[in-house]
Amino acid sequence: MQGRLSAWLVKHGIIHRSLGFDYQGIETLQIKPEDWHSIAVILYVYGYNYLRCQCAYDVAPGGLLASVYHLTRIEYGVDQPEEVCIKVFASRRNPRIPSVFWVWKSVDFQERESYDMLGISYDNHPRLKRILMPESWIGWPLRKDYIAPNFYEIQDAH
Amino acid sequence: MAATSSYMASNSFSMLGWRSSNKQLIKRSVYSVSAQQAEVEEEEVKKAETEKVEENKKLKQEAPTMSPPRPVEPQLNVQSKNMGREYGGQWLSSTTRHVRIYAAYIDPETCEFDQTQMDKLTLLLDPTDEFVWTDETCTKVYSYFQELVDHYEGAPLTEYTLRLIGSDIEHYIRKLLYEGEIQYNMDARVLNFSMGKPRVGFSYDGQLQDVK
Repeated sequence: MQGRLSAWLVKHGIIHRSLGFDYQGIETLQIKPEDWHSIAVILYVYGYNYLRCQCAYDVAPGGLLASVYHLTRIEYGVDQPEEVCIKVFASRRNPRIPSVFWVWKSVDFQERESYDMLGISYDNHPRLKRILMPESWIGWPLRKDYIAPNFYEIQDAH
Repeated sequence: MAATSSYMASNSFSMLGWRSSNKQLIKRSVYSVSAQQAEVEEEEVKKAETEKVEENKKLKQEAPTMSPPRPVEPQLNVQSKNMGREYGGQWLSSTTRHVRIYAAYIDPETCEFDQTQMDKLTLLLDPTDEFVWTDETCTKVYSYFQELVDHYEGAPLTEYTLRLIGSDIEHYIRKLLYEGEIQYNMDARVLNFSMGKPRVGFSYDGQLQDVK
């Protein structure tokens, strides 16, 4: 099963892997972290000028970390814009993914949150630091192997 | 936070300005930890633990099993330093309801808050006066604080570490409460039983209280 974008990428010899379609029929592609920045530029030139959503999750205990990008192609006079979902997987030991801040500026806070919650370090992000947790916090709270510290006010104050 | 702004005319210490009858008790210990800065390796950590008990009595009772708090000489002419906006307007602290730990020296008499002395940790115990404290229970908390600071020697001096220490002290205070060593102060200004409602014949067996 191959979508339109995947066929286009194959035609131009760009390495990717199709992950099928989600429940809304949006094409999902997996891209290697080392290819992601150049492919992001290619996709922007292709016409995906709107990054609708960026999020990240922990795939499995001890497994990979994923960074997800939903891209949309916004044009005049289009009521069904093209959309695509990109997933980039990084190893848990050294999760490094190139930042697409310089392609889509709106990913700034999203990548900071992904860094804060899951510890994915985005290369070339201008100010990658914690955004939700205190800066002295230790650990990545949304990883599956995170153990919450036994802080008093969090759990016991009432 | 009225740590230093409540500079009271009387010589009684008041963390929060509404109580003028607070009496202070100072008990300090000297020991060394290494702080976050690389140039500061071994530091003297002094704890000026301020507590409201009876008239200014120095604690002498020592529980047999726990290490007695080590004495610390008081400082003279402490000035408030590095409290202004140009220094960030904030301080390194862990504040929960019963435990406030500051990485600073707080003068127990004048409440001067010297934040240049970040090698010292100051514990303010139960400033809202929710529990009835005796000298003995205060000593327990202080020596537990001292043990914890000794335990975290070498850890970076961050808010996270202070929070770990403060949370452990809060759990310890709750353990004391469940064992019946301290009681709720029925004359407290806010009487919401923040560590669980009082019970009759409740024995603490090491388990946490059920949350409804």
